[in-house]
Amino acid sequence: MAKIQRQVQMLFDLNKCIGCHTCTMACKTMWTDRNEGQMYQYWNNVETMPGLGYPRNWEESGATIGTCQPKNDDEAALTPLPDIEGDYGAPWEYNYGEVLKTEGGNASRSVVVPFPSPDGPDAYASNWDEDVGVGAFPNNYYFYLPRICNHCSDPPCVSACPRRSVYKREEDGVVLIDQDRCRGYRFCVQGCPYKKIYFNPVTGKSEKCIFCYPRIEQGEGNFCVTQCVGRIRWVSYRDNKASNLYKLVNNWRVALRLHPEFGTEPNTFYIPPMSPPGYLANGDLDSKGRIPVSVLARMFGDNCNQTLAQREARIEEIFDILETERAKGMDSELVRILVATTDTEQVQLT
Amino acid sequence: MSDWTRRNFLKATVAALGSTATSNAFGLFFLEPVDDPLGAYPYRGWEDFYRDQFTWDSTGRTTHGINCTGSCSWKGYVKNGILFKEEQYADFPAISDQLPSYNPRGCQKGANYKEYIYGPQRVKYPLMRVGARGEGKWRRATWGEVFNAIADQMVETITHSGPDAITFFSAIPAKHHLTLAGGFRFANLIGGVVCSFYDWYCDLPPGEPMTWGVQTDSCESADWFNSDYLIMWGSNVVETRIPDAHFYTEARMKGTKIVSIHPEYNPSTIHADLHVHVTPGTDGHLALAMSHVIVLEALYDAAYLRQFTDMPMLVRNDNNKLLRESDVVAGGSDQKFYFWDNMTQQAVLAPGTLGEKPAGPQPTSGQGSWTLDLGNVDPALEGNYTVATLSGNVMVLPVFERLRDSLADYSPVAMQSVTGVQADIIAQVAREFAVAAPRARVIEGAGTNHYYHNDLINRAQMLLPALCGCVGHPGGGFDHYVGQEKLWAEEGFFEFAFPLSRARQRFQNTTLWTYIHGDVASDVDDLWPKDVGEYIVESVNNGWMPVWPKGNITYDPLSRTVNNDRSPEVLFVWGANYLNQAKGNMDVLANLYPKLKLIVDINSRMDTTALYADIVLPAASWYEQWNLSTTDLHTFVHPFTPVIPQQFDSRTDWRIWKGLARVLGRRGLIYNDTVPNGDTITRDLTTLFDDLTTGAHGENIRGDRAACQHLLDLSPETNGLTIRKRRSANSIIKHPQRFLQASRDWTSDIVDGEAYSTFRRMTENLRPLTTLVGRQQFYIDQDWFLDFGEQLPVAKGPINVDDYPLRWLTPHGRWSIHSTWRDAKFQLRLQRGRPVVYLSPPEAAQRGLADNELVEVFNGHGSFEAHLNIAPRLPDNVAMMYHGWEHYFLNNGWQTPVTIRIKPTEIVGGYGQLKFRLNYWGPTGNQRDTRVEIRRAGGNA
Repeated sequence: MAKIQRQVQMLFDLNKCIGCHTCTMACKTMWTDRNEGQMYQYWNNVETMPGLGYPRNWEESGATIGTCQPKNDDEAALTPLPDIEGDYGAPWEYNYGEVLKTEGGNASRSVVVPFPSPDGPDAYASNWDEDVGVGAFPNNYYFYLPRICNHCSDPPCVSACPRRSVYKREEDGVVLIDQDRCRGYRFCVQGCPYKKIYFNPVTGKSEKCIFCYPRIEQGEGNFCVTQCVGRIRWVSYRDNKASNLYKLVNNWRVALRLHPEFGTEPNTFYIPPMSPPGYLANGDLDSKGRIPVSVLARMFGDNCNQTLAQREARIEEIFDILETERAKGMDSELVRILVATTDTEQVQLT
Repeated sequence: MSDWTRRNFLKATVAALGSTATSNAFGLFFLEPVDDPLGAYPYRGWEDFYRDQFTWDSTGRTTHGINCTGSCSWKGYVKNGILFKEEQYADFPAISDQLPSYNPRGCQKGANYKEYIYGPQRVKYPLMRVGARGEGKWRRATWGEVFNAIADQMVETITHSGPDAITFFSAIPAKHHLTLAGGFRFANLIGGVVCSFYDWYCDLPPGEPMTWGVQTDSCESADWFNSDYLIMWGSNVVETRIPDAHFYTEARMKGTKIVSIHPEYNPSTIHADLHVHVTPGTDGHLALAMSHVIVLEALYDAAYLRQFTDMPMLVRNDNNKLLRESDVVAGGSDQKFYFWDNMTQQAVLAPGTLGEKPAGPQPTSGQGSWTLDLGNVDPALEGNYTVATLSGNVMVLPVFERLRDSLADYSPVAMQSVTGVQADIIAQVAREFAVAAPRARVIEGAGTNHYYHNDLINRAQMLLPALCGCVGHPGGGFDHYVGQEKLWAEEGFFEFAFPLSRARQRFQNTTLWTYIHGDVASDVDDLWPKDVGEYIVESVNNGWMPVWPKGNITYDPLSRTVNNDRSPEVLFVWGANYLNQAKGNMDVLANLYPKLKLIVDINSRMDTTALYADIVLPAASWYEQWNLSTTDLHTFVHPFTPVIPQQFDSRTDWRIWKGLARVLGRRGLIYNDTVPNGDTITRDLTTLFDDLTTGAHGENIRGDRAACQHLLDLSPETNGLTIRKRRSANSIIKHPQRFLQASRDWTSDIVDGEAYSTFRRMTENLRPLTTLVGRQQFYIDQDWFLDFGEQLPVAKGPINVDDYPLRWLTPHGRWSIHSTWRDAKFQLRLQRGRPVVYLSPPEAAQRGLADNELVEVFNGHGSFEAHLNIAPRLPDNVAMMYHGWEHYFLNNGWQTPVTIRIKPTEIVGGYGQLKFRLNYWGPTGNQRDTRVEIRRAGGNA
């Protein structure tokens, strides 16, 4: 750990996330549209939560809250590999060429269809349960959760690799899989409780988010940050105390880690989502947001030691801070940071 | 890649594992073991692998010519001639350091246009149909062949029928100015018919021309941030205004209260402070209930109402007409109206009415008696008065008294059962809105605008901010966002597009054109004193609405269709997907298309209109051309530039029109033509090419870039900006440039440091509106309106003509812009891969339907099949499908359950602001009153 000189971090304001997946597409069209084995890979993806996620049920591959014991610490207890067909959903191709004769010729079919055909109750894909969430109308709820590799300070993928071809860079803490030395054993896939490593069956190697290091090295933001049209992301180094990311995490303390009980010390942070109140049985408005704090607390917390009750208290506290500062408008430092009038307030890689 | 299947995927997995097992994997390990992968790692030379992927030969600036209102500016990265990556330029200049910037405007679709440049959807060569229409059988042709084939039919049609049987349909000039201007210019020179889109798409809010005398004017999205109270009313900006949605979430963060009025818990609503889940189609009722509270509790801004609305205008009790000067004074104007002056206790002529307007283009400030300066007059809002008229004394009341009476029917308690919204919540929102005024705003969208009674719904929604004095103040008002109709630089566009003048151009409301030539039968006659067809014939014969080609128009009460004895013969479609989006889809294919002898589609993508065309011309992609882009949502202009050369055998639209002009010109056609303003002109097509390519002052505009510069030069918004020079401070290539000023037709000025918001020329310059009464007009005393009881905003609908249980909602979504990107693989993979229809869990359970099951959507108009997506976000009694799926996904049209329903109030003419003008006033192609049923596919239950 001591060898890591600096650490990049990213922060997501879920109150600004609009679920547009521009981040996903920005990433995909840069890094993972180069061969067929990459098609199912979403180094950055956006999930509707509460939901199944991508791969399906990834949240179940971690530890229980308050234990600080990653399920994957013991190699014998590695979670099973996600099944491409069942847990990711194979990436569909389409028979455009049979239908659209754009160079002349005769169409042999009249309908464009995906294959393999996503039929039946087990069909799946990265965004299959978009906008579903839980609850019954008019009190149902959902929110968007964008995810990248967390570039954890204690990355289980690194320790899982018997070839030691997964490593963490000393200058910025980015976790990478050596594409020369990887042999595709996929222990890293099993070891990552966030399931942000993808095996490429064409190249026979595993691949993951590289935190756009070719950009970061130039002081430019990741594509998922600079192309984020909801303007929900801040990126900086952990030791940059002047950065807005630092202020949000450490001064205002409004950001939490996703599933910190997994014990990996993620370097990504989330501001939990507020929500409009639901309706009581008599038709009156409820007094608080419709997403139960208990639901959020099962996902977000400060560290692996916190109990569920402590996490709930923290989320209540964050909502109190946000509402108090909202009332001050642009006079509030917190509000000014969250609004971020220019992109230089969000990308601070110095 | 096209043979990629799950089986191959699994096979590849096995092969990859096999190869790792047999490789000499141990070599590196023995050479230099990795000590601790946390930190020092000895093999980092491989990292160039990814660095090398992010290298390029060139970059360039462009955008997407698509009706999304985004108008984002994109950078394309090119390596080895291939455009491999798209990223927002993110260099829109800041308006103010107190406002969030427009960067980085874009969305996930703009980030994946490259799929269309190189993908299987791209039309690569000129194609001529060899099978039946829609069968997908094509012969590759040369440009010479297709131009000659088109010219043959055009000569035939002009000679034997007339140029008005040649119809030009294209949409949204703002999204790519030259593309539309070029085709319209061609049409103007030959005498063809130019069709509307804004009303046809039902994007036009009829309430705006009715109440404000404008097509639409809305604030740029940055001004949302200036609101203290935002009602998102049928406007799902998080999905449909992705580049602008951050102003909404950021406004919320700085303390703006957000009320979301939508039937469903949609993606915008998750970021609101309050969700009001109104019963679909009862938004007008809800709005009037709020106004009821405002008036009852005297929360309105009386001074504002006196000055900026018709509330003090006097209405005669005997005939319900506004009191006119011609009623009182012999020889008086019928466009001058009266207040009751509390000071002098008499009726006085109101300043600023249409009868006071000076001749010529409207100034940007009030002047003389054409002003909203009331001087010493104190107009009464209340009371009843007696006025001596030429026909004796009559009792008159201010409009406000009439309104108060009318609103009495709309108490929150009475509206609770209609709207499904609790009375105390209605009252709470109304009071909060009034307290936040003038920085209180209604953001309105397709969710309320797509109903049959959309004019009434608009007028009811507009009444709320008007009563509270919000319209004309930054942060406040009623702002409508459906479509990219707003042509900021419209003066130049019109001059370019219609060189023989707009008065000589044949314009056509597309809703009526499709309705009449598609032989659509009315099913809403019971709603009106007479059959809708009778109103249509009366309107056309009165000269209120045109129908081309010009013929004898009759109504057949047996078939309930309106018939014209001449039919269109040639249809050009470009920059639009007419057939796929057409309401009355079944009638269009069955009745209208057979009348057309030639359908030409200019397209870079094989969409449904292309599939059913006779000739498809391959257009350059949006990364292969010079063009201009603007939008309602911001105040900047920026270019398309050719980031890569034109691919395959494609050409830019402008070059295509020029090519056709050359070929048609060689046919030697010269003919006399009597045009709409009565002039008879001689059209000499032998000079068509030169006429097309010579600018207003003799400029050579042959080149696409020169033509774009000409468009810039001709408008005050953009005159002074350049697309010629890259490094000039005024270059739009360097970065997007803010408009230099707003021409007289807009309702506010462009002010440095301020976001554009509307009607400040009314509140600050005291400039009257162009309505009959010269201010916001809520009382319309046209005879049909009086017959229908719609002189004031009242609530009607929704209508339930279709006898099926589920209201059919087809909103815009995040994954496509209408039909574009609907078929894109990278987009489909982030959905369910194919068309889905959404039902609530109880509605699905009631029908015994499971998630992801194939179902049939049907009603008396048509049917298609899609897969079911069970959606807890939906209320019961509705079915939803994001719109725009191509016929080749459904084996049918997604609009097949939808017919065309004409509302008689929307074909009125000859009344002040209510006169036909393209994309400004004409009947809308509404569709949300459609109802359907859903059942398991193949079943007949």
